[in-house]
Amino acid sequence: MRLERILVAASGKDADVEAVKLACDLAKKSKAEVYVLYVIEVKRSLPLDAVIDSEIEKAEKVLTSAEDIAADREYEVETDLIQAREVGPAIVDEAMERKVDLVLMGVTYKKRFGVFDLGRVIPYVLEEAPCRVILCREPMS
Amino acid sequence: MHNDWQPKLGDKIVRRPRVKAHPLRRVLGIPALFSAGYGNVGSSIYYALGIIVLVAMGATPIVLAVAGILFIFTALTYAEGTAMYPEAGGSASFARHGFNDSVGFISGWALMLSYIVTIAISAFVIPPYLGYFWPPLKESAVIGTAVSMGIIFFVMIINVIGVRETSFINVTAAVFDLLVQLLIICLGFLVLFNFDFLVNNIKFYWPSWENLFLGVALAAIAYTGVETMSQMAEETKSPAKKVPRALVLMIITVLVLFGGVSTVGLSAMTPQELAGSWATDPVAGIAHAISMAITPQEMASTLSSGTEVVIVLTWIFTGLRNLLPVLVAVLAASILFVATNAGLMGISRLAFSLGRYQLIPPVLGRVHQRFKTPYIAIIIFSAVALAILVPGFFAPRAFLELGALYAFGSLLSFVLAHASIMSLRIKNPDLPRPFRLRWNIRFRQRELPVTAILGLVGTAAVWLVVIFTQPYSRWVGLGWMAVGLVIYVIFRWRRKAYSNKIAGAQTGSAESQR
Repeated sequence: MRLERILVAASGKDADVEAVKLACDLAKKSKAEVYVLYVIEVKRSLPLDAVIDSEIEKAEKVLTSAEDIAADREYEVETDLIQAREVGPAIVDEAMERKVDLVLMGVTYKKRFGVFDLGRVIPYVLEEAPCRVILCREPMS
Repeated sequence: MHNDWQPKLGDKIVRRPRVKAHPLRRVLGIPALFSAGYGNVGSSIYYALGIIVLVAMGATPIVLAVAGILFIFTALTYAEGTAMYPEAGGSASFARHGFNDSVGFISGWALMLSYIVTIAISAFVIPPYLGYFWPPLKESAVIGTAVSMGIIFFVMIINVIGVRETSFINVTAAVFDLLVQLLIICLGFLVLFNFDFLVNNIKFYWPSWENLFLGVALAAIAYTGVETMSQMAEETKSPAKKVPRALVLMIITVLVLFGGVSTVGLSAMTPQELAGSWATDPVAGIAHAISMAITPQEMASTLSSGTEVVIVLTWIFTGLRNLLPVLVAVLAASILFVATNAGLMGISRLAFSLGRYQLIPPVLGRVHQRFKTPYIAIIIFSAVALAILVPGFFAPRAFLELGALYAFGSLLSFVLAHASIMSLRIKNPDLPRPFRLRWNIRFRQRELPVTAILGLVGTAAVWLVVIFTQPYSRWVGLGWMAVGLVIYVIFRWRRKAYSNKIAGAQTGSAESQR
């Protein structure tokens, strides 16, 4: 599997750390470009270009942290912040636009009503992304 | 682990600064845009027809046709404006660009009134449609109005919390609604249409000149969803191309549906009957009349002579006869609920947008720390919508008054939209216009679109009719505008005083440094 472009969809959870590390490790072999993307989901009661300071601050922290993790791995990543109505379609659109070979996402271990739950973004990306998708689940503990 | 990392000597850390204005992910295409617009316009037939018949009586189809022509002009104006400025704000945005902040505010504030009345009127007619299942919802003004208020309160809560609404439900409701309205038109023409009866209804129940003009003004409310589409331009892929196309598609659909439903309505019963017990739920009345006119066995025998085919057709017609009123009740309630919700979301977006351009106090656009929704705007405008429903408890004409108030707000914003497009043609003739209106007349070396001129004159004339003939709309509408202007003037004055103070302080500190 030759990789040229990898997209890491960051969610702000702890699982992002492993996902960024894995992306850097995979990218090193073929010197692939790594993009780390964070999507700010904007509610429909606000305009899409609404500037929500608290969300932007959180996103900046997440992406700066991703850059730090990559630097620690001696790799450089490109970060991007976009606003969208829904996270899943935004990730898929971005993957298509950037023509990435792989989407990498961190998964937090969580149960909902006693059943392991992936949320709504990951199943959407798994179903709709045209490229490979790798999920990196954090340890149970 | 990354927190412990320190750069080694000679390490060069290059961080590309993230752009502050983040890219927006535009996802809507023509179908999504059309269904959003149709969800608003299509829902208005469920109450607009009753309001129009109350005033225009037999002239309802004619009045709808005249208002339809004004709607075509208005939709074309919006197409040019939205293609130029694909941003939230609609006519308020055109007015801000075309004139100045003050006119932008007037247009936005008028638009807010129209959104508030959309919320109130859509919620007000849900109970009469559900009255099919429990008659007191339709028969008792107190129960009906109380339930409407409960609906607005519920919508307010879900919008403050920011419950994730599925666009799938909105699109499905719009598609089903379109299909059911087409079914009503087809069945109506099949079992009810009687040309002589229709012509007699038009002739016998022809209204006075005053009511005819008022009817055109009120018919404008049937077409106000054009604004919704414009508001969604900022979420549309290639808005310059897709918004005008979706608008044209909606013009055709809405004109066919409104023409068909009103013709079937006047073929089914006299305007007096329609404006009487069916005023608040006219489509339910039409569905009821169609259902009563369906004679399954007779119709099946007319269509075929084969025994098996007749049995199947009889079964289908019996199903349609029993199902149609239920279908209309459920679907009308659903689409009106969607419209109530869309109205509240529309006004929140608009308030945020106006706040961003310093046209209203930014407190209205304040976002809740946890829910990430503009909760102050949602609560305030829901409260206003609840307040204007209060007369529904006692006044039998409350429904008509709401319709006229709706027309006041939307027509004023339409007038300003036409004027702004013409102002932009004069001020900035070379501005790129991805959708440029044709049929222009030259005026002082500038090209002015004929449709915008006619739209301006037409919408201004019917707006004046509302002002002069409807005391409730006149005083509530003008009162709303006056309150808005007072808020605007105080807010701008305080903002200017603050800016001057800051500028003065900066000059003072610069001089002391010298």
